[in-house]
Amino acid sequence: MAWKEVRSALPAGNYYYSGNEAAAEGAIAAGCRYYAGYPITPSSEIMEWIAVRFREVGGVFIQMEDEIASLSSVIGASWAGAKAMTATSGPGFSLMQEGIGYAAMTETPIVIVDIQRAGPATGQATRVGGGDIMQAKWGSQGDYPVIAISPWSVQEMYDQTINAFNLAERYRVPVILLAEQAVGHLRERMNVVEKIAIFNRRKEKGAAPFGAGDDGVPPMPAFGEGEKLLVTGSSHDDYGLRKVADPLVQARLTARLHNKIVNNREEIIQHEDYYAEDADVIVIAYGFTARSSLFAVEAMRREGKRVGMIRLKTIWPFADSLIRDVGSRAKKIFVPEMNRGQVAGEVMKYTCCDIIPYNQTDGEVIHPNTIMGELRRLL
Amino acid sequence: MGEIKQIRLCGLGGQGIVLGGTILGYAGINDGKWVAGSSSYGAEARGSACRSEVIISDEPIIFPHVTRPDILIAMSQEAYDKYIKDMGRDGETVIYDEQMVCTKEISGLRQLGFPAGSVATKELENKLVANMVILGIVAEVTRIVSRNALLSAIEKNVPERFRALNLRAAELGLALGRAQK
Repeated sequence: MAWKEVRSALPAGNYYYSGNEAAAEGAIAAGCRYYAGYPITPSSEIMEWIAVRFREVGGVFIQMEDEIASLSSVIGASWAGAKAMTATSGPGFSLMQEGIGYAAMTETPIVIVDIQRAGPATGQATRVGGGDIMQAKWGSQGDYPVIAISPWSVQEMYDQTINAFNLAERYRVPVILLAEQAVGHLRERMNVVEKIAIFNRRKEKGAAPFGAGDDGVPPMPAFGEGEKLLVTGSSHDDYGLRKVADPLVQARLTARLHNKIVNNREEIIQHEDYYAEDADVIVIAYGFTARSSLFAVEAMRREGKRVGMIRLKTIWPFADSLIRDVGSRAKKIFVPEMNRGQVAGEVMKYTCCDIIPYNQTDGEVIHPNTIMGELRRLL
Repeated sequence: MGEIKQIRLCGLGGQGIVLGGTILGYAGINDGKWVAGSSSYGAEARGSACRSEVIISDEPIIFPHVTRPDILIAMSQEAYDKYIKDMGRDGETVIYDEQMVCTKEISGLRQLGFPAGSVATKELENKLVANMVILGIVAEVTRIVSRNALLSAIEKNVPERFRALNLRAAELGLALGRAQK
């Protein structure tokens, strides 16, 4: 097994970190030793923190000329054998789309932290938004797999960054930590435990670097290890040879890329239930909005109202069977979001239950009172 | 239910409001509490009305922003005028720099003025540490954080060459707070 237990980079104990600092520390704990990035509000503290800490732990930090170059550099570092990361916000994330598609096609483990701000375009740089949900999945051309995680606390910025690296290494896939400005800039108590479990990419001498393993995930050699290695964003066979007109190669590759994530989704997808068992109205929420929602749900439960909440910790792959199940039990599903209904639309794909989106795109977080007001109208 | 205290610090960008909030939160962690903090960001943290909020709780905090402050710490008139509107329930406290703020009479609200800025200027010849004087006062008057937790938070968060100055400022604040009682 490629899982192993390692000592945390920080001494065990409680810290008072911002979400951005926590993501940087999570990366270091997971073994990330290469970071290339371009600063952008509200994510810049991640690279600032990394720049300082890499001098202590012995990593390579480079400020690149833009986000396209940043992600390309991260992909290269990963093929050189490093665990590599970048961080950005919406406008930079847009520039990275080409690289995300390339990383997915070449099955390169990378982690991108996207601290979402109010868009579209440069929008409101210092204000919160949640509009990158679809961009994270469909921003590059073709059908390709990604994993996207939505943390709701500083603790999760740390824990889920570790998880993001583990998933990237486990499935050879780009993993996006899809956080919001309100979580990146939040300061909270963060607990570090003495030891964490990490997964390092599987290696196998002489094995085809793009051939299907048992679970659809091939072993991954690094340049310089003596393997014959070709890496291309064009369609390729099990050994990385370009095959740009062979229907069978193309069909097998695209199916495997898709299936290695979809077939393992039970292992990947995480969610939490709050009072959902007997609820008439269920809130489906994620990220910071799930905290406002839980606050509202708990206040209304104290009044005896049958409301509950499902928190999506994983956005992509989408929790389709969970939604089917919730939709068969609830009378109504309420989906509050800091965008124009990007997850609500996904929810609608998997259930005929009455879906009520709530969309707030004013650069502010959704307040618990707002959610309580909306829920009262639905009961 | 354990105790939850919501604290809002406000003043002008440059007065150390954001650092003050961070240190207060850090002190809460030192006391073994759950803490959540958020601050003004970007241009507003650099000159105009500036704000930092901290929640200190015996239990995990669900919604991490201040909904209604129990304690308002005001270091400028503009900030006081803006945020005093949220205050007025029994048991709430306003602590302000009396050189910077003229208060409004609000019945039932405890408003305590202290010479934080002038003490910093006179005793330490540096008005920039008025924020640490205020934190000392707040710790002593409200007990939201302990003395030792505050001092160790300052040690951890202030660069070495300013450390002694900031600790001295907090000690002066603690003494002002004690005299008030």
